Amino acid sequence: MKTIEADILIIGSGITAALMAARLAETTTRSITVIEAGQSTTPLAARTKARARFLAYGESPWKQDHLDDQNAFGTTWGFSPSMTVGGLAMHWGGVSPRYSPEDFTTRSQYGVGTDWPFTYGDLDPFYQEAEERMGVAGEQGPVALDPRGKPYPLPPLPVNYNLAQLQRWATTAGIATWSTPSAKNSVPHDGRAQCQRCDTCYPVCPTGAKYSPDFTWDALVRSKKVTLITQTLVRRLIADPKTGAIVQATGNRVDATGEPVTITANTFVLAAGFTWSPHLLLLSRTAAHPDGLANRSGLVGKYLAGHRNVNAYLTLPLELYPGINVQHSLVSKQFMRVPRSGRYLRHDLRLWESSVGREPRLRNEQGSPLLGDAMMSDWRARATGATARVRAYYDVLPDRESKLTLHATRQNRFGDPMPTLDFRDAPESAALKPWQEEQIAALFRRMAAAGKGKLLKMENSVNDLGQEHPTGGCRMGDDPMSSVVDKWGRAHDHENLWVAGAPTQPSAGCCNGTLTFVAVGLRTASAIAEASPDA
Amino acid sequence: MADRSSPADRRTFLKIAGALAATAASGCELQTHIPAANSAPGTDRTTGFDRAILEAVGDVVLPSELGSMGRDAAIGQFVIWADEYDPVAEEMHGYGYADIRYLPPDPSPAWRAQLAALELLAMKSHRKPFAALPRAEREELVTIAIRGHVSDRLPAPLDATHIAIALLAHWASSPDAWDLALGVKVVPASCRVLGDANAKPLPIIGLRS
Repeated sequence: MKTIEADILIIGSGITAALMAARLAETTTRSITVIEAGQSTTPLAARTKARARFLAYGESPWKQDHLDDQNAFGTTWGFSPSMTVGGLAMHWGGVSPRYSPEDFTTRSQYGVGTDWPFTYGDLDPFYQEAEERMGVAGEQGPVALDPRGKPYPLPPLPVNYNLAQLQRWATTAGIATWSTPSAKNSVPHDGRAQCQRCDTCYPVCPTGAKYSPDFTWDALVRSKKVTLITQTLVRRLIADPKTGAIVQATGNRVDATGEPVTITANTFVLAAGFTWSPHLLLLSRTAAHPDGLANRSGLVGKYLAGHRNVNAYLTLPLELYPGINVQHSLVSKQFMRVPRSGRYLRHDLRLWESSVGREPRLRNEQGSPLLGDAMMSDWRARATGATARVRAYYDVLPDRESKLTLHATRQNRFGDPMPTLDFRDAPESAALKPWQEEQIAALFRRMAAAGKGKLLKMENSVNDLGQEHPTGGCRMGDDPMSSVVDKWGRAHDHENLWVAGAPTQPSAGCCNGTLTFVAVGLRTASAIAEASPDA
Repeated sequence: MADRSSPADRRTFLKIAGALAATAASGCELQTHIPAANSAPGTDRTTGFDRAILEAVGDVVLPSELGSMGRDAAIGQFVIWADEYDPVAEEMHGYGYADIRYLPPDPSPAWRAQLAALELLAMKSHRKPFAALPRAEREELVTIAIRGHVSDRLPAPLDATHIAIALLAHWASSPDAWDLALGVKVVPASCRVLGDANAKPLPIIGLRS
């Protein structure tokens, strides 16, 4: 039996945990221990080779980044089995938009969903901090759509040759666009290189220009500000039956020894994402807490949220050159507000260059093979012109029964039931879906017409269940009977238990979520430091 | 040489061709038996292809404007790519992959067999080695060999059902091929100076009016 003593224990080492640990290391002298079930994956020095093999064969660039028997089941489109130091953000794309102010007040403004227990304005300083800690390159959109307290820390990634033409087209269509904010170095920053538009941000940046959490962990461990313990799976939290305080985390090594591990701490921070955070609380059921910890409301694992998308390819009478910077895009927040006269629809809008419809092919329309010069001649004819990709993430309101539960039969090596996910739209959202998707499709058709182009193809989310950039499972709120944690992430039922980031969010907005997950986590870190000041 | 205008002979020819294209035969010449990179027991692989036949296939499927040097380079890169493949390695499992998936088995044995089949077919139908046939006759044999691939889509090289398609797909996925098609120097999927992204790509002189 291995026993570990900590002051602040953080469970999980993903992007939210990393930046919370960095903040706590600066704002408290308390000892910080981080427990990660996985291990470190491909180091920066090996990422050039890993990228080459990904491009050549589709190999995963991330070695040893998961546990074979620790996986979720059910409607898991947005789920990734990555379990490693740095978590899913080892392979994120770095896209870092903020939610819009309306995301925090949909109930009071539009009569749907749930208001967050704090506002965009409350989160703004933590958004800023998240952007500065990661190094987000961006430009502010129109102030009314894209308010912020301070400028972005890094200048925007360039609106390149292709995007400049698409931006002119979008303007013709009446849409204001700007360079998508990204946690990628537009200039050298924080000891890391400038972006070289290698165009494999997702899944692997070979230069380190894109922020990933391992950089923060490396620095924290090197400076001895944090103790990072890997290959240790926390399987239960133990609460004092009298006080409700969490007194221990118990689990096992996941290496060959399987050695039991017990960790005592004063403060427990659950930073294991939208799947594993509620999963651990549910696993920790006892006679005193038969429904799991922090679950007086019965809402642990409930209200899983996400968003869907409508995606289209348009051909335009422009001359674009696919490959200048495929992973960088334009963004607009113009549609994140509900029109005064309209029904409820909020969505973002992104525009990319695309090679769709311009690829080489093996057979012509008659089915005859195209080989050698015939193939090349055909390809050249197809390659001229321009294809734009447009995509809108639209807000999906979660149902109470959009939930994570413990699987009846699937277990890990220790006999713990694995999570199963079942995403569901709230009835009001389900009723709006066909109309919402048609509105977005109509927008794309109008955009094509404005550019004298045409719609090449359109498709809805492959998942169709609303789990992209998922959140929830431990939703925050002021009322302990309708939420799991308070507005700072502190469990209503356990004074020294905090839940961080994505699982606490009442909704998932309508854009990429990572920056918000981190900002919410930093806000929690500020409360942890304040709630339990240095001895 | 058989009279290929004869319907009976043509049916025989097609029958043989179809059978040969579908059958995995034993390996052919000029192969190397090397331990796999990880040297785990049972993971030794046979690598390499009959270069003469592969070059003759490349002459059919790759554009002539590459010239012999460009064609040789493309074939050489394809052979290296095939040799360095790690069968059943983990696929990228990002968002949208709730499970761990693995790459396919080594396609090279089947591809080697397909080269051997082309050789046999050439001998049966023309009494000459495949590489010695005129280009038009080689193209006809390759066309027959790939007829099982009915889609117009050029697959990823690893998904190619025939080595001729794999070779073409491998080259067509390269930055050089895209630049040739676009007529400008973009060098997609390569690490490049960020500031240069604002400029219109420079034309490749001599291509596209």
